[in-house]
Amino acid sequence: MRALIPSLVHGARRAWFVAPVVVFLSLQACTDLGENPTSSITPDNFFKNEQEVRGGLAGVYAVLRNPWNWYNLNEISADEMIVPTRGQDWFDNGRWLEIHRQAWTPTSSSALDDINGMWSGAFSGVVRANVVLAAIENLSIADKAAVIAELRVLRAFYYYQLMDMFGGVPVVTDLTIEPREAAPRDSVFRFVEAELLAARQDLPAQWPAADHGRMTRGAANAILASIYLNAGVFTTSTPSATSYNSCAGVTVAYPGASDACAAAIDAADQALADYSLQPEGSWRRNFTADNASSPENILVAKQLNESGLGLDLIMRALHYNQFNPSPWNGFAALADAYRAFDADDERRDVFLEGQQYCVDPNGCGSVAFGGAVDDRSGAPLIFTVDIADETAATEGEGTRIMKYPPDPDHVAQDNGNDFVYFRAGEMVMVKAEAELASGNAATALTLVNQLRARVFQPDEPLASIDQDGMLRERLFEFAGEAKRRTDLIRHGKFTQAWAFKPASDARTVLMPIPQPQIDANPLLQQNPGY
Amino acid sequence: MPIGRILTLAVLATLYASGTLAAQARTGTVVGTVRDVTTSVGVGSASIAIEGTRRGTTTLADGSFVLAEVPVGTVRLVARAIGYAPETREVTVTAGQTTTVEFALERQAAVMDEIVVTGYGSQRRAEITGSVATVEGDDANVGVTQNADQMLQGRVAGVNVQQNTGDPGAGMQLRVRGGTSISGSDEPLYVIDGVAIWNQATEPGGIGVGGAASPARNPLSLINPKDIKSITVLKDAAAAAIYGARGANGVILIETKQGERDQMTFEYDGYVSFGNAASSLDVLTGDQYRAFIQAEVAAGNLPPERLANLGTANTNWEREVLRSTVSQNHNVAFSGGSASTTYRASLNYQNLEGAALSSGQERFQGRINARQSAWNDRLQLGLNLTAAHVRDDYVPFQNNGGFEGDLFQNMVVFNPTRPVTVMDTATGLERYFEIGTGRQSVRNPVALAEQLQDFGTTTRVLGNIRAQLDIVPGLQGQVIVGVDRSEGDRKIYYPAASPVGAEYNGLASRRAQTLTGVTFQGLMNWNQTFGGVHSLSGVGGYEFQDFAQEGSGAESRDFLTDAFGFDNLSAGANEQVPYSFSEKNRIISFFGRVVYGYNDRYFLTGVVRRDGSSRFGRDSKWGTFPAISASWRLSQEGFLENGPFSELRLRAGYGVQGTNAGDSYRSLVLLAPGADYAFGDQKVVGLSPSQNPNPNLKWEQTSTLNFGLDFGFSDQRIAGSIDYYRKNTTDLLLSVVVPQPAPVSERLENIGELRNSGIEAQLDALLVTRANFSWQAGVVFAANKNEIVDLGGRQFIATGFVNGQGQTGQTSQRILPGQPLGTYFGPEYVGTDATGRQLFNDYDADGNLLGETTSPAADDFRILGKADPSFTAGVRTNLVVGGFDAGLLLRWEQGGQVFNNTALVYSTKSNALQDKNFLASALDDPTGITQPAIYSSRWLESRSFLRLQNITVGYTFQLPEYLSGLGNSARVYVSADNLFLLSGYSGYDPEVLIGAQGIAARGVDYLNYPRQRVFTTGVRLSF
Repeated sequence: MRALIPSLVHGARRAWFVAPVVVFLSLQACTDLGENPTSSITPDNFFKNEQEVRGGLAGVYAVLRNPWNWYNLNEISADEMIVPTRGQDWFDNGRWLEIHRQAWTPTSSSALDDINGMWSGAFSGVVRANVVLAAIENLSIADKAAVIAELRVLRAFYYYQLMDMFGGVPVVTDLTIEPREAAPRDSVFRFVEAELLAARQDLPAQWPAADHGRMTRGAANAILASIYLNAGVFTTSTPSATSYNSCAGVTVAYPGASDACAAAIDAADQALADYSLQPEGSWRRNFTADNASSPENILVAKQLNESGLGLDLIMRALHYNQFNPSPWNGFAALADAYRAFDADDERRDVFLEGQQYCVDPNGCGSVAFGGAVDDRSGAPLIFTVDIADETAATEGEGTRIMKYPPDPDHVAQDNGNDFVYFRAGEMVMVKAEAELASGNAATALTLVNQLRARVFQPDEPLASIDQDGMLRERLFEFAGEAKRRTDLIRHGKFTQAWAFKPASDARTVLMPIPQPQIDANPLLQQNPGY
Repeated sequence: MPIGRILTLAVLATLYASGTLAAQARTGTVVGTVRDVTTSVGVGSASIAIEGTRRGTTTLADGSFVLAEVPVGTVRLVARAIGYAPETREVTVTAGQTTTVEFALERQAAVMDEIVVTGYGSQRRAEITGSVATVEGDDANVGVTQNADQMLQGRVAGVNVQQNTGDPGAGMQLRVRGGTSISGSDEPLYVIDGVAIWNQATEPGGIGVGGAASPARNPLSLINPKDIKSITVLKDAAAAAIYGARGANGVILIETKQGERDQMTFEYDGYVSFGNAASSLDVLTGDQYRAFIQAEVAAGNLPPERLANLGTANTNWEREVLRSTVSQNHNVAFSGGSASTTYRASLNYQNLEGAALSSGQERFQGRINARQSAWNDRLQLGLNLTAAHVRDDYVPFQNNGGFEGDLFQNMVVFNPTRPVTVMDTATGLERYFEIGTGRQSVRNPVALAEQLQDFGTTTRVLGNIRAQLDIVPGLQGQVIVGVDRSEGDRKIYYPAASPVGAEYNGLASRRAQTLTGVTFQGLMNWNQTFGGVHSLSGVGGYEFQDFAQEGSGAESRDFLTDAFGFDNLSAGANEQVPYSFSEKNRIISFFGRVVYGYNDRYFLTGVVRRDGSSRFGRDSKWGTFPAISASWRLSQEGFLENGPFSELRLRAGYGVQGTNAGDSYRSLVLLAPGADYAFGDQKVVGLSPSQNPNPNLKWEQTSTLNFGLDFGFSDQRIAGSIDYYRKNTTDLLLSVVVPQPAPVSERLENIGELRNSGIEAQLDALLVTRANFSWQAGVVFAANKNEIVDLGGRQFIATGFVNGQGQTGQTSQRILPGQPLGTYFGPEYVGTDATGRQLFNDYDADGNLLGETTSPAADDFRILGKADPSFTAGVRTNLVVGGFDAGLLLRWEQGGQVFNNTALVYSTKSNALQDKNFLASALDDPTGITQPAIYSSRWLESRSFLRLQNITVGYTFQLPEYLSGLGNSARVYVSADNLFLLSGYSGYDPEVLIGAQGIAARGVDYLNYPRQRVFTTGVRLSF
């Protein structure tokens, strides 16, 4: 055909009525099938200046901002929270009770949803960091060393989350999409450690106000302190499910440290050199809408009270009638967790119990701020401590943890409270636990009482501390901060029985790799026992 | 000498020769009538042709014709009319004299001589070797035909047409021989007057409440069904391969009516129809609800405070939300033509009222088709131009109501003891009753329909102009240039006074979208016979199509007053981030078809198309799609000469086609904004890779094997066909999980395989054709079997998301290798225990039945059934007695199951815990009041149904002399659509919206917009 048409035209050049055929031929030249999207950008024509790199950097940070899966898996699988089925609400394919019962399997509903989301979410943070790192390699920008260090710390933090949840995972620093074998958990640990140690010296102690929230030297130290405290777990794919996994005696690369405990103490100290505790009486300032100014918060996910950019933890726990927009009335605290608190402990105030009130500073529909609210059937809304039946709970059963109070200027469900991953308070507790593991119970007790002093009036210091006491103190200090699962695993108590959860198999200290991920990457080995 | 020069000379010579012939005046005139042999009624629009020439004319409505300037001597005249066997008469014409000739045509069920449009040309039916079906516009235009695709409903075997919902102007889903795709489109390609159109929603999406926005209306509404002459469906690869990478789901060719020479017509056609929802849901009445709550409070299951929520009203919210409708449609058309020009112009007005308050569609549409011939008919110029203006009034509904829900969800759950309106004591004015003030999650459904404003408008112009030239006898060149432009607009306002708008203190949005398609086609057709028995015809061509889509929108919230509505966005204190987008794609094609025939017995067709699409990946821009097919007319063979068959033909064909690769830019890595983050207190627009690259991305490939048998008895009074096909689709476009880390977790890849195989049959019979009495009937039957062969390493894909409270993340179906699409997967329900808990079969990991459980886990999830019917059938019949006619169309589907999501959520009493109403069936249900709704086999119901789609009775008469100004013939008719539905299904309608949430989900019914039962009375005048 192609050969025939030109000859036709050649012969018919003088024939005016063949004009259509000529048009036809001229259009035949239109064989350009390239695509040039204009609503989106491709990496080839981007990352050319500082402003664009900043946009790429924001994309890497953005993964931090939604701790949905991280929070759910760490809180609900532990002895702190439960999402009971409330009549029609919150059955959701049995997924929430499955997490609480630790009944997940590689193909179960929570594995396909929350656990899979955790896996791909954290890895998307890794690859976004890799994309920007590759793009700026040959670019000359101000603060380049700091930006590279920042990206490495971010990537290390995403690997921290993966290592914590899944054990060994593929460690990747290039951009190729291909099946890869998982590195053993110990290798992931060494990678995270080496990256943090290498990057921390290039990071500033503080960013200027306009860059608040970016990675600092202190943030790298805080992550280091945490991986070292958990080194007994993170350096083996088979941590003990029933006894304390100590940092003592675990060899690390930290300069001058004899073992992981010593490294944890030093890293925590370095973090504390840049950050400080909220004083007595203002512990809650770490979580209020203005917590960006808290000197205690080291590594946070920045939140803004703008559509799609804010914190919505409040929605998960509060009752429909307590806030505007209407929350979801789901996540409740377990009675034992609530009862473990001392009634004089200021930290217990994060629990909502008894008659409930409108907590929205702008009012809840017809009820003003602070006014008593009713449940949906018109009866006074009372949060009870106990839940009678987790499969058929009422609207008011279970206390609720409201660690982050509502932002008075919230926009719909978006509150401006920064979500705290690490704060100085935890550095104190890391030091205390590492000292205890190293045999220095007296130092540990001093540190624990330092934190208790600011939340009890008058003081109620502890007389002694042991590992169980340490775990209990961590519950008081960090309830609702997505720490509980990691803590229970380190203390060898994650597989024990508690309310609405029978004793579980030792395998549950590692999450199963979701089956779709193994289907996509056959080189992955499922975690033991699944 | 180059071929081109020979052709040029030949053309010039022929032009000269014909000019000389025309100068001679030795001609006569032939007049006559074409009548139906049985009824003796004149046959209008029959064509009269002088055999071996292009000369001819068409008959008037009374069957008469005049053919002037017929060359003297003996000529053979052929009369052809749709539905009749052609008849040839020999007449002798003398110079300057008038000769009379009478034709008496006999009806046929399938006319092998008919010319059928087959894509880039047309063919005689006898020559077609692929699987092709046609529907005549006038036959299918009965009752309320809103859109072109409805005309295929129940009339073509293997074409399943279903209107998505009862929403006026709702989108249609049309499947030719089952779907070939999992995540891509299963929609066929629509070609209108030779130009493929971009069949996608013309109006921007809405905002919706509590979930996605209302489903899009039908983009084909730009075509007035009354303008349609015929619709041809290309079903198998042999027929549709000429459309290459876009033909795998079949091709629908729509031809519009043209004017005819020497014949002026005027037509008026109009109807008024009255409708109401065809079925209802049985929710508790106010009295029943009051009694239930009082009993539960007395039993201690509900707190006594609940009694305070009981009002004194007895409101049937379904009756309040649904209404009786009046719709109307008016068409005016005129056509005519001289020796060299023909034209047809038409105007249509249609106003459809939806069964739900405040929903409807209004359409203004006009069309001009014109033809001009020159150079003694050697040059044909043509124009088809249509413009439509559609106004849509939407109500908030969708089939995935979310937590708070849409109109129909609130209709079911709203407290029936409460009134629609109350007197507001503060203002002294009547207002809608709402539970509480300000934002509410349960809303008065009448207020929801009336208060929320959601309008769409589309203005669409579709035009093409063509020139066709006879270069030499048997060789034609043709050029077509076409433009398809639509401008869609959406205006939305949620007033602060409504419980939806209260959250935003008023929300206004304007959205706009344009679609532009430009087409160029260059074609060469040739046709020759040699040696008396060999025929060779073909088409070769080039096509270029360029599409662009653009849109933008803005939204404001927080209004001082509701008075501005959507007309002053800047009055809102809170302006949202606006959006805009642009997308382009292009398809370039070369194609050819050659048909060889021997002795009108053996036919062989070869087709090849080479398609390039910008949407394909960098390394697979071009694809080649070949097909070959053959047929053998056994009835032409000597050994069957005296057999019972008037026609017997075997067909076989094989070919490869594609389905285009979804959206544009899917093969590229894109950086998209949206991964925003705050540094300091300032938002930084973050960019992140939004998709993974795939330079090998290409079309889905379907290879089809088709065997067909066409047969006819007793001079084609009974005719039919049977086809068997097997369609294998490989390189399925699936979004699959890629090894992490990757920019996003999934990538669109060509992976996996599925198969459709089936049998379809069609039978038409003229049972009686006596004077003043005829009776004809037709049956279509299709059985399609769908099977997933391979998912490219994935074990399954969970899909068919369950809707309703407490159902987040719950799926009802799995796509599993070895099973069909729409396979239900969940726990097996066995009953309830003494405490009202639902019990399910409990299996171990090896599939052994252990007993029963109240909380089914992964091992207990099993295959429960399938959504697709085992077979579908359509029966139609038409009876004419004197001036009276009566026709009916029945549709039957057997097998398959519907997941009654409505029952799952609303036939459990636990709704009452939240002061929500529920279905009356829950009263007798043993499930306890505190039990959650759990998806299981319990909620699957049979899909089988028999629907009386349409029944029509009409009377045709000649108008009396003194009224002849109104026309010389008139038909009045009454018609009923959807008069009855025979089905055991407990929901609204077992024929449910197939666009359920999730990949390739089907069969999920969640509070759809109910379909109407419509009674129509209409009149048609023509002269």
